[in-house]
Amino acid sequence: MVPLLYFQLLGAALFGIGLYGVLARRSAVLIVLSIELMLNAVNINLIAAASYLNGIGRFDAFDGQIIAIFVITVAAAEVGLAFAIILRMYRNRGTVNVDEINILKW
Amino acid sequence: MQLALFIIVAIFTIGGALGVVATRNVVHAALFLLLSLLGAAGAYLLLFAEFLALVQVLIYGGAITIVVLFAVMLTRSSEYPRITDNKQWPLALLTAAALSGVLGAAFWLAPEVVAEPQAPVFSDLAASLFTKWALPFEIASLVLLVALIGAIIIARAQNVDAPTDASSDGEA
Amino acid sequence: MPLAFLIPVFSFVACPLIILFQRWLPGRGAPLAILAIGGGFVVWALATIGFLGASPDNPACDVSAITGALTCHFSTDWFTAGVPGNEITDVIHLDWGILIDPLTIVLLGLITFVALGVQLYSLEYMKGDPRFGWYYAWQALFVAAMLTLALADNFLLLYIAWELVGLCSYLLIGFWFEQPGPREAAKKAFVVTRIGDVGLLVGILLLWLNVGSFSMTDAFAAVAAGELSNGVITAVAILLLLGAMGKSAQFPFHVWLPDAMEGPTPVSALIHAATMVIAGVYLVARAYPIFAASPEALLIIAIIGIITALGAATIALVSTDLKRILAYSTVSHLGLMMLSLGAGGWIAAVFHLMAHGFAKALLFLGAGSVMHGVGAHGDVDIRRVGGLRRAMPLTATAFSIGALSLGGIPILSGFWSKDEILLSVSHHLPAIFIVLAFLTAFLSALYMARAMFVVFFGSEGEDSHHAHESPILMTGVLAVLAVLAVGFGWIAFNWPGAFGGFGSFVFYDHAEGFHFNPLIAGLSVLLAVAAFALAWLVYVRRGWSHESLRARFAPVLRVVENRYYVDETYQWVIDRVVLTVSAALAFFDRAVVNDVGINGPGDVVRRVGVALRLHVTGHVYSYALVVALGVIALAIFWWLRSA
Repeated sequence: MVPLLYFQLLGAALFGIGLYGVLARRSAVLIVLSIELMLNAVNINLIAAASYLNGIGRFDAFDGQIIAIFVITVAAAEVGLAFAIILRMYRNRGTVNVDEINILKW
Repeated sequence: MQLALFIIVAIFTIGGALGVVATRNVVHAALFLLLSLLGAAGAYLLLFAEFLALVQVLIYGGAITIVVLFAVMLTRSSEYPRITDNKQWPLALLTAAALSGVLGAAFWLAPEVVAEPQAPVFSDLAASLFTKWALPFEIASLVLLVALIGAIIIARAQNVDAPTDASSDGEA
Repeated sequence: MPLAFLIPVFSFVACPLIILFQRWLPGRGAPLAILAIGGGFVVWALATIGFLGASPDNPACDVSAITGALTCHFSTDWFTAGVPGNEITDVIHLDWGILIDPLTIVLLGLITFVALGVQLYSLEYMKGDPRFGWYYAWQALFVAAMLTLALADNFLLLYIAWELVGLCSYLLIGFWFEQPGPREAAKKAFVVTRIGDVGLLVGILLLWLNVGSFSMTDAFAAVAAGELSNGVITAVAILLLLGAMGKSAQFPFHVWLPDAMEGPTPVSALIHAATMVIAGVYLVARAYPIFAASPEALLIIAIIGIITALGAATIALVSTDLKRILAYSTVSHLGLMMLSLGAGGWIAAVFHLMAHGFAKALLFLGAGSVMHGVGAHGDVDIRRVGGLRRAMPLTATAFSIGALSLGGIPILSGFWSKDEILLSVSHHLPAIFIVLAFLTAFLSALYMARAMFVVFFGSEGEDSHHAHESPILMTGVLAVLAVLAVGFGWIAFNWPGAFGGFGSFVFYDHAEGFHFNPLIAGLSVLLAVAAFALAWLVYVRRGWSHESLRARFAPVLRVVENRYYVDETYQWVIDRVVLTVSAALAFFDRAVVNDVGINGPGDVVRRVGVALRLHVTGHVYSYALVVALGVIALAIFWWLRSA
């Protein structure tokens, strides 16, 4: 029997890795992928809580899963928009490396 | 048995994620992401969320990964950059570790839950989605529509050879 | 007589007309100006006849309880300031009008007459000047302002006219502004008199604060009724005196008058000898009820007068420029008038004012004739001319009459007026004053004799070979003035008939006949004759060598020839004190006000901005890092709070 804590720690670790990716990678594509990792970490956490805490307190059986469905929906929309922006960025600036794009610098 | 399965799933998930943030090759990164997402789907199965696992595989594993691969192809530079991380990566590592630590500590110190994971009935999920969550569901569809149109407008080519004016106003 | 206000109005109207239409007017507008002043002269004559025939029965006329003279006063509304019923500000109502009393009458006569003469004279003297029309425009404006000054019945109007004559003086001194000399002299005259004018303005306002009216009659009545404390009266008197000292070139404000000779010579004759410079004396005479109430102020006037008279006389003795000799002579005689006023010799002062005005106008116009004759436009160095008597007999005669008159040779008008001054000084002031006054009279005769002998007698100078007599218009004016210089003094006497002498017409407090003290008169005649004889010996007979005299008095000479270093003192004060203070203030302005007060906040903002903008890297991951750190901080914060 796997405790809830394990899933939560898995989610925390995945979130941290995703955050590192967002903060450290140069390519905008990789940053979007890292964001997907973070969203998945959240999803794991949500679904785990939904499974374990069903009927405890105010939690309903499927709330967590339904919110996870919405997260996936929004993630899909976000990916679509993000890659549209990346495409436009590439066309305008010839690169997708975010450290080469700093025209808003001081 | 379940713990063993969890460990396998966790290794896939974490390993895939590390591959995403560590590899130089963008295509490899996308494939590593697929690995990680499939690992997450496995985790959902362990939590008796079969529908979510299915959605995960279909949408992430199918649609999103394909979009990513398209994007990678469309924006691929001729060679892979030697340096894939920016200058603040040590700081990013510290921050990420700190956030993970904070989250983990919070979970660790929270009151232990002794309940077992339960297997819900899918018809209840559908009923809940279309009654209690009906309005957010409709809004979500609208969000998708807006994102779709927005993506088309943003990505639409205004002229064919657009990249020629690149870096004309770029500065170091 | 109520139409006497027209006297200045003619010229006031003429001035803008000449300025605007000088290109189309015949003679560049000069006839218009002459017509205006001629009209003023006629109106003055009519007004004088009217005034002589007026009696206290006339509703506008009254025998003033303060000055004792018949005074006619015509006034009308000027303006009202303030809101009726408003408790914060009083309603200030001002009338303006004209005050006609004997003092005004004689002064108007002097101004209109000399101005008429000078303007006729200028027709020849200024002929061919590129700004001929402008000259007459300013002349008209000056005459108008000067007449207003004499007629004004309140101090505010007087002050306006006072500043206007100062402005005209500035414009006419600097008439040839293409040359640096007139330019600088005009500035100097304007600034120096302005120092005195500030005193005058403050004095007028102080009087208004205490009396509540600008009207002269009100002010004098308040002083006579004892409504003002002695301190206020003395303060007002000294402040008014400051203005008078500036205008009448009294020590230490005398420095501008000699420089003012850079202007055209007729201007010097009119403004800087006969009219404007006597405005100070006129002011003191006019406001005499105030001065008379303050013995301290009278003493100050006397002291300043004698210092000025003696100092200027000595400088005039060693000057070599003909016009400057006359200028210092003017300063000296103005000092004598002030001395007389300070001694209580009011009649003597006004009498000398008139006599000196005619004589000095004659001398200046004579000097102008000399310059015209020898072709000099600027300085006439008396060492370079001589023996002009043969080439310019009319000018020489007229000039000599003026010089003899001013030098105090008997039966000429200057003798009588100077005698009156000496008499009142001997009566009312300590012995030192009369000694110095006699010395001044002696010096006065000596320098006049020197100028006369050197220029017109003796051997010919190098510049006098081509001299020729001036046109008839100029010499005619000289002749008329010469007649006055001879005969004016005779009106002092009590002739058989209706006229009781100058002192019975123009007087302060009580009418006086002409005094004649054989001792004073005899001494003064002796001194005058001695002075002329000495000058004749030195400059014509050359009985004493010029050079040996100069060598004997060398140390004194150096001081006097440098005009007692007054200008140098001013320059030193300006260089050392004013400029030092100004430099300190400028430094304060630059370093504190500008750099710290104005640029300081800007600098701080810019530096802070420069420092702060460094966080705007333009890199999206930097912002993301900050967001992540913020999330961590928030998480820890909430966690700690819930724990």
